[in-house]
Amino acid sequence: MKPTQVLAVLLFATPSLAPVAGATVVGTSTDADATDPVPATAPADDDSWTIRADRIYTAAGDPIEGGVVAVKDGKISAVSGGGSGTLECAAVTPGLIDLSVRIDTGAYSVEQADETPIALRVSDALDLYSYRWDRELRSGVTTVLANPEDKAVLGGLGVVLKTGGEPTLDARVLRQDAVLRGSLGAEPSSGNRPPRGSGPSTFYYRRPTTRMGVEWILRKSFYDALAVERTGEGATPELEILQRTLKGEVPLVIQGWATQDIRTAVYLKEEFSIPKMFIDGAAEAWHEPDLLVRSGAAVVLPPFRFQGGPGTDGSFYAYDTAARLQERGVMFALSGHGASDPVMRLNKQPGYAMRGGLDFADALAAVTINPARMVGVDDRVGSIEVGKDADLVLWSGTPFEPTSRVIGVLLNGELVLDPRESNQ
Amino acid sequence: MIAQTLRHAARLALPALALTAGAAVSVAQDAEKIVIEAGRVVTPTGPIENGVIVIENGRITALGAADEVEAPWDAVVIGGEDFTAMPGFVEAHASSGLDRANENIDVAPFLNIRDSIDPVAYFFEDCLRWGITTVNVQQGNNCVVGARGMIVRPVGMTVEEMMVRPEHGLKMSVAPKTRKSRATQLQTLNRAFSDLRRYLEELVQEKKDGGDRARREALYQGRDLDGENAEGRAMGGSAWKVEGLELVPRGEIDEKQEPLLHLIEGRYPAYIYCRTPMDVHHALDVARENGFLARTTLVIDDGCWKAADVIAEAGVPVVLDGDQIHTERDSFTGKEKETFVPGILHEKGIRFALSSTNSDTDSLWFQAASAIGFGLEPEVALSSVTQTPAEILGLGKEVGSLEVGKHGNVVLFSGDPMSITSWVEHVVIEGREVYDRSKDVRNTHLLDGTRPPGTTAPVDEE
Repeated sequence: MKPTQVLAVLLFATPSLAPVAGATVVGTSTDADATDPVPATAPADDDSWTIRADRIYTAAGDPIEGGVVAVKDGKISAVSGGGSGTLECAAVTPGLIDLSVRIDTGAYSVEQADETPIALRVSDALDLYSYRWDRELRSGVTTVLANPEDKAVLGGLGVVLKTGGEPTLDARVLRQDAVLRGSLGAEPSSGNRPPRGSGPSTFYYRRPTTRMGVEWILRKSFYDALAVERTGEGATPELEILQRTLKGEVPLVIQGWATQDIRTAVYLKEEFSIPKMFIDGAAEAWHEPDLLVRSGAAVVLPPFRFQGGPGTDGSFYAYDTAARLQERGVMFALSGHGASDPVMRLNKQPGYAMRGGLDFADALAAVTINPARMVGVDDRVGSIEVGKDADLVLWSGTPFEPTSRVIGVLLNGELVLDPRESNQ
Repeated sequence: MIAQTLRHAARLALPALALTAGAAVSVAQDAEKIVIEAGRVVTPTGPIENGVIVIENGRITALGAADEVEAPWDAVVIGGEDFTAMPGFVEAHASSGLDRANENIDVAPFLNIRDSIDPVAYFFEDCLRWGITTVNVQQGNNCVVGARGMIVRPVGMTVEEMMVRPEHGLKMSVAPKTRKSRATQLQTLNRAFSDLRRYLEELVQEKKDGGDRARREALYQGRDLDGENAEGRAMGGSAWKVEGLELVPRGEIDEKQEPLLHLIEGRYPAYIYCRTPMDVHHALDVARENGFLARTTLVIDDGCWKAADVIAEAGVPVVLDGDQIHTERDSFTGKEKETFVPGILHEKGIRFALSSTNSDTDSLWFQAASAIGFGLEPEVALSSVTQTPAEILGLGKEVGSLEVGKHGNVVLFSGDPMSITSWVEHVVIEGREVYDRSKDVRNTHLLDGTRPPGTTAPVDEE
């Protein structure tokens, strides 16, 4: 039995599950089980499920009324209308994807020696045993992008991973070095100070201390990368990553909340012709939809703020931001920032975007297939289609409404939150 | 009486309009009859499709299906078939809309929240935006014995216009005040009552001895010593008694001690804040020993669900001041455990009200919708923001549901009241329209970021 199965049994054990667990321990082949003619209503073995939902929101075309999603060997094996299932719920959606989950190891893991530790990998510092992954998983978030903390101008490489499964990188990572993470605004220069009363040679002198300095370091980094490209001399692992970013092999993610930072990010993209970039935390994206359209930059919107503002860097986040970006054709995703408050998590964010005028289908895409495309994992996750990973969320009612909740979650075909338990 | 009060009231929903209050007053004066039409009217006996609510002189005079109710020909008509009519939400306990919610002095029942309420506070404007029509304003939780509270409607230019019930309730806290230990908090709270007892006994003794210090002090305080105040009265209440209190004219009792005596004698209900389950026991003990358990409401943080059995046994209602989901981590496994608090309260048969400690995701409609999402029956969830808080405040026959004879407090939603895509479109308080979303400048700003000319950015409250 895999550790996750143990976990699932421990956390959500039901009498009906117990014999299955026992059978696995004594070595019954799961393949043999699957070929047996198992009655549809009886609990299946851990590797295959059929989920009957009043509505299947596939994020790949129109929803299916009253259908079944079949899961086998960790993948979605069939999606069809009608039929019955081993698990039942009001609605099923793909597992949610958060491109700004903000689970990291905290400020102490920030490299203080360098403002551009480009080659650092956040995956080296992730605590896969943290309870916060489980919190995301239980609330329906199955895939996330984890980034380095935003205290450096270019903080290193982010990683796309699943929120559950065996607690090893091998088991969880979907895409290593998925993005290069940069940051604008006040955060990368906060805490830095100019060399008062002493020369810039002092140990305590850290750049940058201004927004101008932040941008200067960003541009200098890319200039250096271009210079190496031109002269063929002075290559470093860091500059190599920047070159890959310039070729579009590694998307650049820039944090920018306020309008001026969104503008700066767009100008940077245009100046260096960076093919793939998205702006994270872009609360004021509603101010500059034209720039976003012109540059082709995508956007990750921060968690909703009911009072609008002021958010980070004094930003104001209008209710209709998502609706307006959708209307203009800007690619965007919603994010939950790993909130502990149940009503601020990713599974509620599409509802708030709908309150601002976004359609249900677009709101669903913004937490499933859009983010999957933005980090290039849409071949594995992001929609309910045959052959994709069986990451599914089961809902008690219409998804994203405050009157509904997540009652079941499957990750790689394994039941990690049992709807038969949650319904009680 | 109500109409008279309303006559002076002005629209508060729009800060811009507040400046032209004079114009709004004349509108208000004329609107003594109002008819509200809605595609769906939510009543205690079930929803009415295509319903009509007639409000005259502030009260609901008729309610029913459009073809059954005769509406006065000269009434103002608002609403339409696209709307859903709900009773105005009732906030059972709030420490907002105040100039500083907490007081330095540990035992300060002589204070009155009336003096702190700010009628133009953003909180009251926001109450209307979310459909809250009755608010019980009490001192903050950081106290031992706090001020006397007040029930208000969140509209009016003065506290008197807002007033529904003056001197309603006395706030207390068992949870340690800042820089106090739990033991000193309890000691201070208990001592407030023993001090009162000793004071009253001394007063009686002095009277028996023929002294006049109390009388001279009362005169110095400028107290009225005529009429009722000239007479003594035996101590009321069901707890401890001071024999011979009838010898002391009531006017001679120090105004600093008087409110606690009134609490014991049954004039005020008590709102006692509990942060942890252990606080619940102490709160109930204090209430029991001093005879006001029957008039006590516990204001609890979410962790107090662990004392649900004790609360249920005492039979007191609660106001949930914390989150609906209580989260704790197992210190051995590190796993998070989440408990849905209203679910437990309901299961144990405790009457409870939800509260919006601030005005965004915690506003009452959203609280009710979330509670349904977490698994509470819709009727219970709706009641916990309407009828139950109304009953806790002693206004069960006045507000909290749409029924003939009750105050005409109506909220019109653009669709299903519990859906994330619905908005509060109109709010009517006692027959007067006090909020119209189409004229809500701040809402427009929140919705699309545009700031109409001549308005300023919202300022964060303290």
